[in-house]
Amino acid sequence: MLEHDVLVIGAGLAGMRAALSAQETGANVAVVSKVHPVRSHSNAAQGGINAALTDRGDDWNDHAYDTVKGSDYLGDQDAIEIMCSEAGQELIDLEHMGVIFNRDDRGLLGTRAFGGQQKARTFFVADFTGQAMLHVLYEQLMKSSIRVYEEWFVLSLIIEEGMCCGVTAFEIATGRIYVIRAKTVIMCSGGVGRVFEPSTNALIVTGDGIGQAYASGASLMDMEMIQYHPTTLKGSGVLITEGARGEGAYLLNSEGKRFMETYAPNMMELASRDVVSRAEQTEIDQGRGVDGCVYLDLRHLGEDLIRERLTQIVDIGQDFAGVNIINEPIPIRPGMHYIMGGIKTDVNGRTNIPGLYAAGECACVSVHGGNRLGANSLLDTVIFGRRSGVHAAGYASEQEFTEFDVQGYIKGYERKLQSIADRQEGERWAQIRNDLGKGMDQYFGVYREENGMQILLSRIEDCKKRYEKVVLQDRGTIFNTDLVFTLELGFMLDCAETIVRSGIERKESRGAHSRTDYPLRNDKDWLKHVVVSKTDNGPQISHLPVKITKWTPEERKY
Amino acid sequence: MQVIVSVNRFNPKDNNGKYWEDYNLEIEENATVLDALIKIREETDGSLAMRCSCRSAICGSCAMRVNGHARLACNTKLADMTDEAGMIKVEPMTNFPVIKDLVVDQQMFWDKVKQVSPWLQSEGPEPKGEYVASNESMNQLAGVMACIMCGACVSDCSVMEVDKNFIGPAALAKAYRFVGDPRDSKSVERLGVLNEYSGIWDCTRCYECVEVCPKGVAPMDRIMALREEAISVGYGDTMGARHADVFSDLVEDSGWLDELRLPIKTVGIFNLPALLNFAPVGLRALVKGKMPAIFHHNVPNVQNVRNLFKRVRNDQNKDG
Amino acid sequence: MKFAFFPGCVSRGGCPELYPAAKKVCAQLGIELDELQDRGATCTGAGVLQEKNQFLGDVLNARTFAIAEGLGLPIMVICSTCQGVMSQANRRLKTNPDYLAKVNEQLSEEGLEYKGTASPRHLLWVMVEDIGIDVLKTYVRRPLSGLRLAPFYGCYIVRPSDDLEFKLYRDREDSLERVMEALGAEPVDFPGKTRCCGFPILTINEKNSVQMVANHTASAKQLGADALVTPCPLCHLNLDGYQPSAMRQTQQDINIPIIHLPQLVGLAMGFDPKELGLSRHIISTKKVLSKIQVAV
Repeated sequence: MLEHDVLVIGAGLAGMRAALSAQETGANVAVVSKVHPVRSHSNAAQGGINAALTDRGDDWNDHAYDTVKGSDYLGDQDAIEIMCSEAGQELIDLEHMGVIFNRDDRGLLGTRAFGGQQKARTFFVADFTGQAMLHVLYEQLMKSSIRVYEEWFVLSLIIEEGMCCGVTAFEIATGRIYVIRAKTVIMCSGGVGRVFEPSTNALIVTGDGIGQAYASGASLMDMEMIQYHPTTLKGSGVLITEGARGEGAYLLNSEGKRFMETYAPNMMELASRDVVSRAEQTEIDQGRGVDGCVYLDLRHLGEDLIRERLTQIVDIGQDFAGVNIINEPIPIRPGMHYIMGGIKTDVNGRTNIPGLYAAGECACVSVHGGNRLGANSLLDTVIFGRRSGVHAAGYASEQEFTEFDVQGYIKGYERKLQSIADRQEGERWAQIRNDLGKGMDQYFGVYREENGMQILLSRIEDCKKRYEKVVLQDRGTIFNTDLVFTLELGFMLDCAETIVRSGIERKESRGAHSRTDYPLRNDKDWLKHVVVSKTDNGPQISHLPVKITKWTPEERKY
Repeated sequence: MQVIVSVNRFNPKDNNGKYWEDYNLEIEENATVLDALIKIREETDGSLAMRCSCRSAICGSCAMRVNGHARLACNTKLADMTDEAGMIKVEPMTNFPVIKDLVVDQQMFWDKVKQVSPWLQSEGPEPKGEYVASNESMNQLAGVMACIMCGACVSDCSVMEVDKNFIGPAALAKAYRFVGDPRDSKSVERLGVLNEYSGIWDCTRCYECVEVCPKGVAPMDRIMALREEAISVGYGDTMGARHADVFSDLVEDSGWLDELRLPIKTVGIFNLPALLNFAPVGLRALVKGKMPAIFHHNVPNVQNVRNLFKRVRNDQNKDG
Repeated sequence: MKFAFFPGCVSRGGCPELYPAAKKVCAQLGIELDELQDRGATCTGAGVLQEKNQFLGDVLNARTFAIAEGLGLPIMVICSTCQGVMSQANRRLKTNPDYLAKVNEQLSEEGLEYKGTASPRHLLWVMVEDIGIDVLKTYVRRPLSGLRLAPFYGCYIVRPSDDLEFKLYRDREDSLERVMEALGAEPVDFPGKTRCCGFPILTINEKNSVQMVANHTASAKQLGADALVTPCPLCHLNLDGYQPSAMRQTQQDINIPIIHLPQLVGLAMGFDPKELGLSRHIISTKKVLSKIQVAV
C-alpha cells in the first residue's frame, strides 16, 4: 500500500516548496508529478521574484499596495499582506538554499524594475529566475530523499466521507494504475495555459489539478481572470520576459512611436500587464501594428547589458523569431500567459474540501485578483507552497488514514481506461483540443463581450460531446501519451467551461477581464469574487466578498 | 515544405526490435524538428512517444538525436537539418536505455547527479540576511545554472559510451556549480571525491559535450576548471594531475614535448608495474622504428621559453 | 604558396613517419614551408598544459602566432590537436582585447606582440580551401581506386565547431571525404568518424582508452573499410599503437591499418610507401597497399 501523511501533486516551485516544508515538520511526504520535477513549467518564469527588503529602505506595505492596485482591487488584502510581509524572509531562505541571485556592487542581492511597481524590488537570476529557483529546490528535494512518483499521471482525487484521502494515478511508463493513500493532498498542478491556443505556457499546462479538484467539489474562484502577457512571439507564443522592459526596452508601433505615452504616461512600458496588453491590442486593432504585432526595442540597452541580464531571450529571439535583439526590434504581441483564478483557498492553502490543499497557479488565495504583477507569481508559489505544506502536515498529524476500497478504485479506472481504448470510431483528442484553444483565443482574448462568450460556451459544450467519443491510436500500455493527452483534454474542457461561465457572469471590466460591452469597472455591483462549483445540475455560480484591510478602491492610473 | 522525418522506433511490448519509420509531411518553412514530431503525433500517428513541454529550450524534455547528434528538438530548425532528399533522422539519445521510441530512461542520469551531493553545503551559522558574494562569482555560476539537465551531453559523451561508471559531463558540471560557489564550504571534500576513479580525470577532452550542449554550459570546460582547482588545492597525486604537471615541465624544459619521458614521469620512475605496462607498446614501436627520438633537442633560444614560464607563474602568484 | 609551418611535437616524436611524409607532399604541391619550431615556437600545450594553467597556454600560442606574424606568413599545421588548441586560444585572444593585452604584456619582454591576425590551418583545409579539390586531382599519379577508407578526423579539428569557424568555412565538415574522393578512393561513413580516439586518457584510464580504439577500428572494419585515414598523429598513436591491446582487451581480430593523411596523399602522388614511412606502422599496411598494387 502506497501511503503518505502528505501527498503533493505537481513538482514545480509550489509543489517542491510545499513538500520540503511539510517534511521539515516530520511528516512522511511524497510528490506525484506527470513530469520529472525540473521539467515543470515554473522554469518559464524569466524575470524574477518580488520582495520588499526593509534593510534596503523598502516597505512591504508599498509592495502590498502595488499588488492591490495591480489586482484592480479584486485581490484579498489579508492574503496580499501575508504574501508581501513574508516575502523578504522567503527570499533570504531561497538564497540560503543556493539560488544564485544577481548581486549589486556591495555583493548584496540586486534588483531590477518590474511592471506596476513604484520601486525596483524584483530579485533575479539573469533572465531564468524560475529555472534557477526550480533547480535549487530540486537540489533540496534530492537532499531530502522525499519520494517522487515521477511521470505518474493523477486520474482523480479520492473523496471518502467528504474528505480527500488520496489519489488514483497511473504510471505512464508502464500503464499500471495505483492508489496512493494520503491524509492530506496538496494540489500544486499549475495553470490552464494550453486551454488557449496559442499560449506562452508549456504543453503540459492543461489544468488537470483544477479540473480534478472541481470534479471533486472544490470551489473555483476568479476563473475569468486570464492574463495576457504583453510580450510574446507571434506564432509560437513564446515568452519574452518583462525584465526586458524592466531593463528599459521600448514598445514601438508601426510609426516608430512609444505608444505607451498615450495609455500610461507615468509608468510607460512598465504599467501593469493588463494595461500594456490592452494598449498593444488597441494599437494593433487601430491599424498601427505590423502583421498583428508591435515592436519591442532593446537596441539602446547595449550588447553588454543584454548579454549579461537577458541572455536567454537573445537565444529565443534568434531561435524562434530569427531576430538578433541586439541589433533589431522584435515583433511581439499580447499572448495568453497566466490564470489569476483557480481553486479557492484560504491563506493556509485550505480548500473547501477537508484534507485538500492547493498552492501556486492552480490555487486562488486570491493575491492576484484581476491582474497579477510580474514577478509576483514566483513569490506566490513559494509563500503559499510553504504555508500549505506546514498546515497540511499539521492537519495530517491529527488524522488517521481513512479506510476505503482501494481495489475498487483501481478496478474502476482500469474499466474506464479500457472502455476508452475499446472505442473504434471517432475523433482524436488533437482536433478537439485545437478547436477549443482557437475558440478561447478568438472569443476570450484581451477584449471580450457577451455574444462572443456565448458562442464560445456553446462551442465548448459541443467539444464536450465530441470528447465522449474520442478514440485512441495507441492502445498499448508503455508510455502511452495518446492516452495522457486524451485524459488531459477532459480536464481542459471543464476548466474552459468554468472560465467562460465566470466571464459571462462578471458584467464589468476589471483587471484582465475587459468587456467591450461593459467597458468600465463597477465597484458598486462587482467588487466581489465570482465562484464556480460543480453540482449535479452543472456549474453553479456564486459570489464572495473581497477582503479589504487598508486600501480602499480608487481609480487606477499608471 | 515537404519533409521526410525518419524516426527510430521501439516498443518493448512488440517484437520488432528497433526499426526506422518514415513520415512524409508538409510543414511551414520555419518549423522546428519538434513542430514536425508534434504534427506527426497529432495528425498521423498517436502512438509515437516522445517527451516535450516548453517548446523554448528551458525544460530539457525533448533532447534526442537528430542526424546523429544530440539536440533539443524544440530549438532545432527542420530546414537546417534536412538532406537533399528533404529527410532527417531522429533517434532517442544514446547512453540511455530506451523506454519507447524517443523516450529514454533517465534514472541512471539522475543517480549520477545525486552522486555529487548536489546541494549547497555552507558552514557555520547562517547569516541573518543573504550571503555576501560578488556579482562576478554569481554570474560565473549562472553559466552552469543555465543547465537544463536535458542529457544531451551524456548522450554523446565518448567516455560514457565505453564506461558506464564515469560520472559524466552533466553531473560534473553540476559539481562545478558548488565547487565554484563562494557560499559552499565543502569544495575541498567535493574535489577529493571528484578526483577519484570515474571522476574528473576520466574525461577524454573530446568536446562532444561542449558541441551538443544547447545552453552553452560547456561541461568539459567546467571539468577542466575542476581539474585546475583540484591541482591547486593539493590533489596532485593522480595520474591525470601528474600527466598535466609533467607535460608542463617538459615543455618548459625544452620548448616541446618529450614523449619518451612523459609516460615514464607521469606514472613515476619507481612505479614498476605501470612502467612495465608501457613496455610492450614501447617494444613494438621500437621494432617498427616508431620510437620517439632518444636524444630530445631543445627549441632554439629555449632560455626565452623558460623565462616566459617563470614570468607568467610569478605574475599569477602575485595576483593570487 | 608559403606557410609558417608548425609540425607539432608528435610528427617528429611518437609518429616520426609523419613529418617527412608531410614535407614531401607539401613540396610536391608547391607549398613552401618556413619551420616555426626552428624559430623557437613551442608546443601548443595540447590541452594538457591548459588543464593546469590555461593562461600560460594562451601565452605560448600567442607567442607562436606573433612569430608567424613577424614572418608575414599564415600558419599551417599537420595535427588536429594543434589545430584545435591553437584555434581555441586564438578565439579567446581575438574576442577579448583586454585579455590579448594581458597576454602581450608577457610577450613584450621578448620583443614580441600578437596583433590578432593569425588563422592557423591544417594541411587538410589548405588542400580543400587554398589548393582546391580540382587542382588536387591533377597531382594524382596513382589513383587509389578500389580503396575503401574510413575517415577519422580527431576531435580537435571538428569541435568546438564555432572555434574552428565551421559556419564560415562550410567545406571543413567533410573535407577529409572530399580529399579521399579526389584521390580516387571511396569514403566509408562510420559512427566513429568524428569521435574520440581515447588518446588523452591513455595514461589515466587505459582500459577506457583502448576500448575506444577497439570500437572505432572494429566498426570501420565491419563496414568494409580497408584502412582508417586521420589528419591527427595523436589519434594515429592510439588507433595504431594500441590496436594490439584493443584486440587483446576485446578478444577479436581487427588489424586495420591507420594511415596519416599526408601518407595517403603521397601514395596517390606516386611516392614510394617506404619514403612515406608506411612500413613503420604497428599495424601492417601491406594488405591495403597490395590492393592498389603497391608493394612495401
